[in-house]
Amino acid sequence: MTWVTLFLYAGATALSAIGVVFGKDRLLGRSVLVAAVGLAAQVASLGFRWVRVGHGPYLGFYEVSAALVLFVVATFVYAAWRQPRLASAGIGVMPVALLLLGGAMLAQGTEVPMTGKLTSFWLAIHVIFANLAFGAFVISFGLAIAYIVRERSSSGAWAKRFEKLPAQDALENLTVRYVLVGFFFWGIMIITGAIWANEAWGRYWGWDPVETWSLIVWIIYAVYLHLHYTLRWHGQRLAWVAILAMPLSLFTLVGIPAVFDTTHAGIGGLGKDL
Amino acid sequence: MRRIVRFLASPRLAAALLLFIGAWVTIATFVPQSITSPGEIAAWDAANPALATVVNAVGLHDAFTAPAFIVPSLLLALCTAVCAWQRTGVARRRARVLREVSAAGLANDFALAELSIPVASDVENDEAYRRVVATLRELGIPGSRVGDRVVSVSPWWTVWGTAIFHWALVALIVLMALGSLARASGQMGVAVGQTRPDQPESYGELTAGPLYRWASNDRSIRVDDFHLDYMAGGISRGPTPTVAVLDGDGEVLESRIVYPNHILRHGSLSIYPVDYGLSAEIAMLDDQGAEIQRTVQLLDFDGTSPDGTAPVSEIGLYGSNGQVLNRLIVSVPLDSVPEGFLGRIPKDPSAHVVVADLTGAVLLDEVLRPGEEAALPLGGSLRLLGVDYYARLQIVDDPTITLLYIAGAIALVGLGIATLARQMIFTAGILTESEARIMAVRMRLWRIHTTSKSEIESELRRALGATEGSA
Repeated sequence: MTWVTLFLYAGATALSAIGVVFGKDRLLGRSVLVAAVGLAAQVASLGFRWVRVGHGPYLGFYEVSAALVLFVVATFVYAAWRQPRLASAGIGVMPVALLLLGGAMLAQGTEVPMTGKLTSFWLAIHVIFANLAFGAFVISFGLAIAYIVRERSSSGAWAKRFEKLPAQDALENLTVRYVLVGFFFWGIMIITGAIWANEAWGRYWGWDPVETWSLIVWIIYAVYLHLHYTLRWHGQRLAWVAILAMPLSLFTLVGIPAVFDTTHAGIGGLGKDL
Repeated sequence: MRRIVRFLASPRLAAALLLFIGAWVTIATFVPQSITSPGEIAAWDAANPALATVVNAVGLHDAFTAPAFIVPSLLLALCTAVCAWQRTGVARRRARVLREVSAAGLANDFALAELSIPVASDVENDEAYRRVVATLRELGIPGSRVGDRVVSVSPWWTVWGTAIFHWALVALIVLMALGSLARASGQMGVAVGQTRPDQPESYGELTAGPLYRWASNDRSIRVDDFHLDYMAGGISRGPTPTVAVLDGDGEVLESRIVYPNHILRHGSLSIYPVDYGLSAEIAMLDDQGAEIQRTVQLLDFDGTSPDGTAPVSEIGLYGSNGQVLNRLIVSVPLDSVPEGFLGRIPKDPSAHVVVADLTGAVLLDEVLRPGEEAALPLGGSLRLLGVDYYARLQIVDDPTITLLYIAGAIALVGLGIATLARQMIFTAGILTESEARIMAVRMRLWRIHTTSKSEIESELRRALGATEGSA
């Protein structure tokens, strides 16, 4: 089922790219539809796994990454359903989902058992908000890419290819909106994590690398919001901040265990799971 | 004073401080920290001698307590407070405008109109209003027709989100600082059946802020039971003690089996299990065999020790002059398997008792079973009463935790409002001027992310300017 999901996400990515490059609006709509079907397949895939391993997709590199992908695609499909003109942002969003799911499948066989330290309702809350935040950050990333591509070709072919998108200033507002939503969910993730750490380890903050990097990402997005709201940054330079910040959030969520020793061992890490 | 406030209110300063703190913290994650990995610092310094000079000079091994981190953080806290104050003023002004717009019944809309959009001659008034409502909806704004107006006005509370969030951040920073001054946190080893006063001398490791008051604390901690592998909900919870908190009269205030995610709480006190070991209870007897004192020796598992356990601390044996003359060292020989020692009470429990003088010369070396005695070199004897487990407990008394949780919740509510709520005024009505009709639009978009002012204007012009395919 995961292979079906991967195939469908690859199809959605290709349709999105072709739709944008050749200016085929119908293909953009189809790309969202294919992504939605892939989403359904992924929900089924993760559901089967949930039943088999006895816990939700919270533990190990595969589950954590696959859950992130699920929320990214779900956020994109929801956004494109609410505002069809956002469909062309898929050219920035779907490749991230595709690559992340492909990477996750390298560690698909690993099943991390639930331990006493992880058995808490805070786990689900903490992880869900991490996923929601990442979904919003990836959408802001996709919108920012669309903004920059169109801005750099304001009277050229690329401007025409993205013409279905909202006007540039509205697109920027939407990017800010998704950053704000991600910032909000990321904040909930940090606070619920702190409460859980206090319940489990007796301290709400311990400068663990994942804790520290989650703070770094929050600070970077706080800087983004201050640049926009108080220093009145607009345009490409603001979009670049959104583009550069997203990979850091991905690194925080799945990359840390590969680089640092962390108490968030449940995330796994590609090298460790393999 | 005004200069200082202006300096602290500078958005550039806030952004620069955020960037500096972010960069500092990022670098710190690549350098061993004394609070998370103290054992790695020396090796890292040796492997990176050139970097080590800089790192030690700026205090990067203690990155989160170094002045280079604390000072900008305090400055950022002040900036946040000033910013919160300013945002409060902005929110009050905006809330007043929103209330006035609602209360005034939109009487002076036309005087405040910012846009005048011609309405095509073949578009009836009702149709024009319908198109405005539909256009707004397409742009993600819920608008409705009220008499001869189209109206979309946010509730007054929507403008308070960012001010609430910033004040809550200030409260969080203040509470965290207060918490470090007013909290006590440490590890206490308590054997099964043992009661220890919650006082500094009972702790192995202890950090207490200067505002923490031990004098008013007459409670004690007791461990009533211990499971080596406790099962709950079908999942192993590991070594699990049952812990009780007693008041000054010995009455139980709170009792609970404690394991991760299932801690004991009593007021601001929290108790968590950290580790476990063994304990040997010993009675000291005088020359006539009468018991004069009991002591509990706590033992940690130690794979390098011949017995597999080592005492947490040695016991001093005093001479008649009140001076320590000998040292008593107790360990419990563990059962072993080819892979190593078994971390549990041996099947045939015993205690290995060694008495040495201050030069290290061994004066007594015996293995005792429960109930057995050994004569001490300085007179009297000791008797092993029993071997059991001890639980090492993390005990935290922090009166600010509940307040921190409340401030965190308020911060999230504020952030949620700032994130999700629109802050805007939109009113539109048709004016007739020398037979031409215009849609007079008043628009204040303080915070709206689904669209923009220019997009609203262009979409309204399109909707009102053509009969076909516009709405």
